[in-house]
Amino acid sequence: MRKAKKFLFVFLAMSLIVYLMGCSSSANKQQTGGSREKPYIAIISKGFQHQFWQAVKMGAEQAAKDYDVEITFEGPETESQIDKQVEMLEAALSRNPDAICIAALDSKAVIPLLEKAKEKNIPVIGFDSGVDSDIPVTTVATNNVAAAALAADKMAELIGGKGKVGVIVHDQTSITGVDRRDGFVNRIKEKYPDIEIVDIQYGGGDHLKSTDIAKAMIQAHPDLKGIFGANEGSAIGALNGVVEMKKVGQIVVIGFDAGKQQKDAIREGKMSGAITQNPVGIGYKAVEAAVKAIKGEKVEKEIDTGFYWYDKTNIDSEELKPLLYD
Amino acid sequence: MKSIFASNATQKVLAFGSLIVLFIFFSIASPNFFQFNNIISIMLSTAIIGILAVGVTFVIISGGIDLSIGTVMTFSSVIAGVFVTFWKMPIWLGVLGGLIAGTLCGFISGVVIAKLKIPAFIATLGMMMITKGLSLVISDTKPIYFTEAPGFSDISMGSFLNSIIGGLEVPNAVVIFFVVSIIASLILNKTILGRYNFAIGSNEEATRLSGINVDAWKIVIHAMCGLFCGIAGILMASRLNSAQPALGQGYELEAIAAVVIGGTSLSGGEGSILGTVIGSLLMSVLTNGLRILSVKQEWQMVVIGIVVIMAVFADIARRRKQ
Amino acid sequence: MEGIDKKFPGVQALSKCRFDLRAGEVHALVGENGAGKSTLMKILTGVYSKDNGKIFYKGKEVNILSPKMAQELGISMIHQEFNLIPHLTVAQNIFIGREIRKGIGFILDEKEINKRTEEILKNMNLNVDPCTKVMNLTVAKQQMVEIAKALSYNSEVLIMDEPTGALTESEIEELFRIINQLRQKGVGIVYITHRMEEIKKIADRVTVLRDGQYIGTADVKDISIDQIIKMMVGREIYETSQISTSDNDEREIVLEVKNLKRGNVIKDVSFKLRKGEILGIAGLMGAGRTEVARAIFGADPLDSGEIYVKGKRVHIKSPKDAISHGIGYLSEDRKRYGLVLDMDVELNIVLASLERFKGLLGWVKRDKTKSESQMRVDELKIKTPSLQQKVKFLSGGNQQKVVIAKWLTQDSDILIFDEPTRGIDVGAKNEIYKLLNELTRRGKSIIMISSELPEILRMSHRIIVMCEGRVTGELSAAEATEERIMYYATKRE
Repeated sequence: MRKAKKFLFVFLAMSLIVYLMGCSSSANKQQTGGSREKPYIAIISKGFQHQFWQAVKMGAEQAAKDYDVEITFEGPETESQIDKQVEMLEAALSRNPDAICIAALDSKAVIPLLEKAKEKNIPVIGFDSGVDSDIPVTTVATNNVAAAALAADKMAELIGGKGKVGVIVHDQTSITGVDRRDGFVNRIKEKYPDIEIVDIQYGGGDHLKSTDIAKAMIQAHPDLKGIFGANEGSAIGALNGVVEMKKVGQIVVIGFDAGKQQKDAIREGKMSGAITQNPVGIGYKAVEAAVKAIKGEKVEKEIDTGFYWYDKTNIDSEELKPLLYD
Repeated sequence: MKSIFASNATQKVLAFGSLIVLFIFFSIASPNFFQFNNIISIMLSTAIIGILAVGVTFVIISGGIDLSIGTVMTFSSVIAGVFVTFWKMPIWLGVLGGLIAGTLCGFISGVVIAKLKIPAFIATLGMMMITKGLSLVISDTKPIYFTEAPGFSDISMGSFLNSIIGGLEVPNAVVIFFVVSIIASLILNKTILGRYNFAIGSNEEATRLSGINVDAWKIVIHAMCGLFCGIAGILMASRLNSAQPALGQGYELEAIAAVVIGGTSLSGGEGSILGTVIGSLLMSVLTNGLRILSVKQEWQMVVIGIVVIMAVFADIARRRKQ
Repeated sequence: MEGIDKKFPGVQALSKCRFDLRAGEVHALVGENGAGKSTLMKILTGVYSKDNGKIFYKGKEVNILSPKMAQELGISMIHQEFNLIPHLTVAQNIFIGREIRKGIGFILDEKEINKRTEEILKNMNLNVDPCTKVMNLTVAKQQMVEIAKALSYNSEVLIMDEPTGALTESEIEELFRIINQLRQKGVGIVYITHRMEEIKKIADRVTVLRDGQYIGTADVKDISIDQIIKMMVGREIYETSQISTSDNDEREIVLEVKNLKRGNVIKDVSFKLRKGEILGIAGLMGAGRTEVARAIFGADPLDSGEIYVKGKRVHIKSPKDAISHGIGYLSEDRKRYGLVLDMDVELNIVLASLERFKGLLGWVKRDKTKSESQMRVDELKIKTPSLQQKVKFLSGGNQQKVVIAKWLTQDSDILIFDEPTRGIDVGAKNEIYKLLNELTRRGKSIIMISSELPEILRMSHRIIVMCEGRVTGELSAAEATEERIMYYATKRE
């Protein structure tokens, strides 16, 4: 009897939870089949926890409103879960969307599924980073190589064209990680022979790990002039490291993306500046391109959403404000 | 203090010896390694993983495991953020809230393990996912900043030692780490809780037949582990001046590795806090040293993996000899 | 205790059992395995709850709900499986559950418990350091610590469940001395045992249980061992005698070991084993008998020494090598090393020889394993409801038979039995003996390690005696007596 009661209790509790979850998610429930009132676009991003992706989502939602389409926005928990993303894409395909937007974690892993989409005549729009294939009708992305090169130019300007700098990147396998690292490193090598890149380390975007990395870098190279953090977590790590080692003002920190901590640090002068992409724009443009593709309109093969340098002087300007998420 | 050092001394001597060897090696390899500043950096980076490791040492000695420590830590920091930033409560209440949240998570894990008889591995795996999810839900997947509560970051990064003895700039996090470790060591070796902890890990059935309420003590042990996660969570939030809801996963394995390097047996019944402290120091000295030598990250992982296996092998070899 | 009933799912473990104990007596409780001795005593000590019946303690009815409550009343039990905690010290074990604290109530007073333990141990004439970890003590010493723990509760009722199972002769003497001492102090002792000779030596009265029922109580001086056994099994049993050994010396030597050495547990061991022979290895606990067996079987590495199987030198580095040379080892702890308790009879029998039943891609040929194991079950008369019965539900004797079946399936010619009848009741022991004789008749050769001298004397064709890692004597069946074996077993360097 007791066992049965326990079981019943657990069962009831589980049903309650499922019910509650069902309620809260019913808002973006999707009908399957073709009898939809509005076009439906499935968006698979690289993540959802990161502030950057939240901003992309915001842009996508705005576009959905403007063009009167339905969207779903989902992504794996971390940017290393390529397999999960593939699963999500599979599930999205089975819902027969009118278009798919994907920010591929791995430029090749999703190709077989995209071919399936092609068979079904579902247009595919790449965003944030590309796919090694000509299936996507367009790719909406920041030119990361050029963006990181701009960071390199700013770094050179701020440290006076010579000295040692370090680089902290979020990872060594993703396209954004590789592009930003190479964009920065190559520009320094080409244009600034007096600047030496002493170390490149990877912190997984983890604030704490990146902090420890920055501190070790500063410890190893007491005459370090600057650190470039290639995404938000890396940039905050670089900043923390400099603060904890009491080197504020002696070491130039250049970040990437936005977020409240970076913005505050820039206002306070602890960080010299950062490159921001246009995440809201990426989301918006991706949905916009999808709508065009559904209608059969022509879209450009590549849509650059741009990137911007921001520092103390222009952080609160009207032009940049909408690009800088908290 | 004698009994703290007396139990399975060999492994600790071994770990301590390796620590010294590493120190000497890195000091020779790079002049920048053996400096006051860097030593403090190492200890600071040890503090959070170290406190997690100290907490989980209790659980491991009792023959259990806790995989949820990393995310419970994150959950505690998020709760502290909710108190301080969302509800504008004083810092001390936020700290208290975080500690209680951690303890509660541990308590629930303990009840699930002891009363519902769910294997610890599964129960804490579930708790890991639950706390990770809840952290994201509560924070709305955004970091919670403590920028409006000046003084919060002093919990970790201030230095009250400096205000007592001028010039001794040791961040509070490091001091807290050592104080917590000493208290944990006393609990493990000098109190009834510690005694039953060893007894349960060594022979649970015999302990039960000795008239001891094993279930209740297991719950206490898990709750205490949760409390340590709470402390780690507060230190983490304070150091980053924000509660990062997406962090934390993966920390549990680093902490468990540190515990094992320190000579605590995963099958329960033996282990020590001192060993765990040495184990976690060993890991961060290694990471820090390799970083200072600008060794590629990929290789750092390989080296640390080898060290973990070697440490456990040394432990097994020692046991065989006995 | 009166009219005690206890039901387990599917089994009536006890029905209308009774038992009484006077102050200052040793009351033996006997019965075959499964007769309900341990269950009855676990009810008395609050481990199990009773379904029916009453317990009177010192004239008053009591309701014992937990082990702790029993201890507080002054009833302690020393379990068959040790209830010590290996990683704690002797003193910590004795005082577990009632630690002495100081200060604000959390801090343990280690000094005090060490002091008190020392007193208790001194009273028992036991030379053990209170600060040693229990895991570092010999089995016999651990047993003594268990007794010390029970005594430290000032128990007036002490229940001992097969306390001599792991003890050597001299240690048993020491135990009996302590029991006598306790008896004089007025402690009532319940003594559960399988060894009939011990009842005669130490007990005042004896109560027999069979199949969960009370059979009878008698004064020990008025009853013979045969009568007790008859009460236990409900029929007369005859012990088998060994087969003729006259032609022993001419038989082929199937196994010879020369100068085995391993650390300080095996110092110098040489012996020969002939075809169709039972070679008994006698000796005290810690003489190195099991270690020799394990070394021959390849379970532990040897430092030096040579092993010859059928005249050929072999190198045994692992159990796998030993098995391929036709050597089988039946561990003393069959539950831990001999059987997979949660698997069924069929799988246990064929487990070690699955290679033989393997088809394409490792597919197991079920029909073959089934017929093979059915054959063994019939051959060895294993009592099991079906081949699919999980081994853990079989009795000790039948479990032992399953292990034997496993090695027969392996085609082992040399079988090493380590304490083959430990924990097996009288009736089943006899069957195991019959089986050993049957095996030798079929040309198998057997090494039998045993601590029970009557068993060694009854079954062996030849006996070697070990002491402290050396062979100290060899006796033929005709020469061997208990006294001679004990002489060699205690012949230290």
